[in-house]
Amino acid sequence: MKIKQKVIISLVFGLIGLMVAIQFQTNREPDERDTRDLWEIRSQLQEEQKFQQNLYQQIRDAEQTIDQYEETSESEKVQTLKDSLEKLRSKAGLTDLQQPGIVIDISPLFVENENGQPYPSIAPDLLNRLINELNTYGATDIQIANERIVDITPVRSVNGETYVNNHPLPSVPLKIKVLATNPERLKDYMEVSQSKDDFAIENLDMEFTYEEKVNLTGYQGPVQINSMQVLEEAGEE
Amino acid sequence: MWLPILFLIIGVGLGLLTDIRIPDVYADYLSIAVLAAFDTLFGGIRAYLEEKFDEKVFLSGFFFNVLLAALLAFIGVQLGIDLYLAAVFAFGVRLFQNIAAIRRYVIDKKYISKKLAKWRRN
Repeated sequence: MKIKQKVIISLVFGLIGLMVAIQFQTNREPDERDTRDLWEIRSQLQEEQKFQQNLYQQIRDAEQTIDQYEETSESEKVQTLKDSLEKLRSKAGLTDLQQPGIVIDISPLFVENENGQPYPSIAPDLLNRLINELNTYGATDIQIANERIVDITPVRSVNGETYVNNHPLPSVPLKIKVLATNPERLKDYMEVSQSKDDFAIENLDMEFTYEEKVNLTGYQGPVQINSMQVLEEAGEE
Repeated sequence: MWLPILFLIIGVGLGLLTDIRIPDVYADYLSIAVLAAFDTLFGGIRAYLEEKFDEKVFLSGFFFNVLLAALLAFIGVQLGIDLYLAAVFAFGVRLFQNIAAIRRYVIDKKYISKKLAKWRRN
């Protein structure tokens, strides 16, 4: 082979090598690097620690209940059981409550209109949004008109009317009672909430008042949880 | 024979060291071009072993194949047909044929040289 031939072939080989290398590099995924700085890691660590503390707290509470069961006599055991049951019932919204909370007055909002306007009503979607928003801002118990909202409460449209707990909602004006751990804060939140605007679009006015004693009635209907099952094995002992 | 391999290593090293990356849009073209290049490379080796090597054929084959493959891929993208598969198929088949020919040649050579050695000893 002549030297010229060799050089040409070598150059082509070099080109091929270059192409292969570029192809290889193009297809290689860049390594995922941890780009968090010290502060981000620190705040995340704090979050995790808070979570851990929360879990410890829960464990402690559960252990206390177990201790109560174990240490006390038979009658006290029954009492503890009753206490737990009552606590759970109140948590589920089956008992009457009297606590500080806020009352939302919903009334029709009339606007000057030469065509007149239909009498406003609360649509289920609107109500669902309101309930979601209240829950977001820390509401613990809600009662719409006389219907206590529990975990299984349906809010739906039946023949154009809004039904809550399978009972038709009375027409406006009506009252929504809300309990919260911090009712005044909830009131402040709701004063500037999206719900207020949404209700205004539907010609409904909302007014929030804080009250020291808000009475809520318990949920009366049966609690049917067909799709829930008891899990036989609850973790390891 | 050593010079091309040296240049191949230099090319790979250069590509890896310079950290050149092709945008994702053109990655398909490069991959098909690389396939064409491989085909030419093995074709060249085969021709060399068979002593039919012609640098004009080799050079023109290399550039023409690479360009044709890229063009085919381009047209395929424009028409919405996976036309580059045709190039992949064609080059793939030829690659295997070339490698098979090289293998056979190497085996034959060894076999013959062994026989020759035996014959000479006798």
